[in-house]
Amino acid sequence: MFEFLIEHLPEFLNGLVFTVEITVFGVLVGLALGVLLAIGDLYGGRVVSTIIRFYVEFFRGSPIIVQLFMFYFTIPGILNIQLGRYVVGFLVFSLNSAAYQKGYIKGAMEAVFENQMTAALSIGLSKVQAIVYVILPQALRLVIPAWGNEFCSLTKSTSALLVIGVEDLTAVGKNLAGLTYRNLEVYSFVALIYLAWISVMLKLFDTVYEKVKIPGIEISA
Amino acid sequence: MGEQKKEAIGAVAIKMADIVMECKNLWKTYGKITAVKDVSLKIQECDIKLIFGPSGSGKSTFLRCLAMLTSPTKGDVFLKGECLTKEGIDLNKARARIGFVFQHIWLFHHLTALGNVELALRRVLKLPKKEVKERAMQALRDVKMEEWAHHYPAQLSGGQQQRVGIARALTRCPDIILLDEPTSALDPELTGEVIDTLRDLAKKGTTMLIVSHEMPFAREVADEMIFFDEGTIVEIGPPELFFTNPQSERAKKFMARLIKKTRRE
Repeated sequence: MFEFLIEHLPEFLNGLVFTVEITVFGVLVGLALGVLLAIGDLYGGRVVSTIIRFYVEFFRGSPIIVQLFMFYFTIPGILNIQLGRYVVGFLVFSLNSAAYQKGYIKGAMEAVFENQMTAALSIGLSKVQAIVYVILPQALRLVIPAWGNEFCSLTKSTSALLVIGVEDLTAVGKNLAGLTYRNLEVYSFVALIYLAWISVMLKLFDTVYEKVKIPGIEISA
Repeated sequence: MGEQKKEAIGAVAIKMADIVMECKNLWKTYGKITAVKDVSLKIQECDIKLIFGPSGSGKSTFLRCLAMLTSPTKGDVFLKGECLTKEGIDLNKARARIGFVFQHIWLFHHLTALGNVELALRRVLKLPKKEVKERAMQALRDVKMEEWAHHYPAQLSGGQQQRVGIARALTRCPDIILLDEPTSALDPELTGEVIDTLRDLAKKGTTMLIVSHEMPFAREVADEMIFFDEGTIVEIGPPELFFTNPQSERAKKFMARLIKKTRRE
């Protein structure tokens, strides 16, 4: 039984590598976008903040499979363009993650916001400098645990990519199970790989969180 | 202000230079609530003025208006003759010249004591690294906190934190330091160390406007005391006047209560 799985190990690993790539890409682009969205929502005035809210509601309020279909079929159809399935994959996961991360980051910014901003302005920093040097360094530390969750849920969501024919770890398993009819072994193994990878990553997030924690400040999650 | 303009004003400019901060007919309203009502005040070089009065009387709001941390609804604020309330002024630059110490301290939690003091030197004055460190350490030495330079705020006592807060305000060599009840959030036993620090500053001739109810300290260092009530200055005069014979009824009553309270402590 194990030989059969080991024989196909390269395929599983390929699948995992792709899952990791798209997750890391999604989380990082999502972070950058999420920070901008959070700042826009906090400072942008009513119009900007309404637009951001619509964006966030769309990505949080619809299944990721529907989002993939929309970006693969609907939107290119309307605009009369073509988007490759990988492009759509990376795009949707980044935009989706940004919507969630905006919520975490905004919450964290608000938590450190008011008095730290006043103190920062009082020493002569501009608003932008205050955000960069005072608000974000504190807010991003607070976001790390939520970031771990986001990473975790995004990793698992990548299996939705098989609806537009992109092969991640789940798709590798599905193909192999279809060929060999050894559902039990294949899917157990796939689940185990996900579990191992996510455990390692969560541990890493914990370590980073502990490492960058501000001495003397405990945050109860 | 350009050199030419300064010369042109001539004698007036020289006279103005003595006045560090001035406000004229300052108002601050929030909707229907008036927090600051038509306040005018002049603070000269090396002056120490102390504002006191009931809580909710607008003292903090007044101080924040002077520091341009909140914009006045009406009236003007001048810093060394430069109007801070006119359109188009670079407020960040103006704020860099005013030191502010908060009642609840508000240090930057993610930076060490040294980091807190260094931030403005690095990012506002943009000094070279070596000078930043030297000046920041000097400021910490001035408040006797150099041993704690590498501790984070949460690792310091309230009194130590407030001394770092004072160092943070001092380090840019601001034209004036505004202190908003710097000791009222502290335990009585920690107040002493902060008061000592302020006394040192007073000896060095630092221009200060302090909101405080530390009466023995006020009597010792203040050039003038200002009784503030219902958003405006009710009475202004030398400390001795307030301790012996306040003119207004309200000040009389308030002083009586304060002195009673101080005795109890």
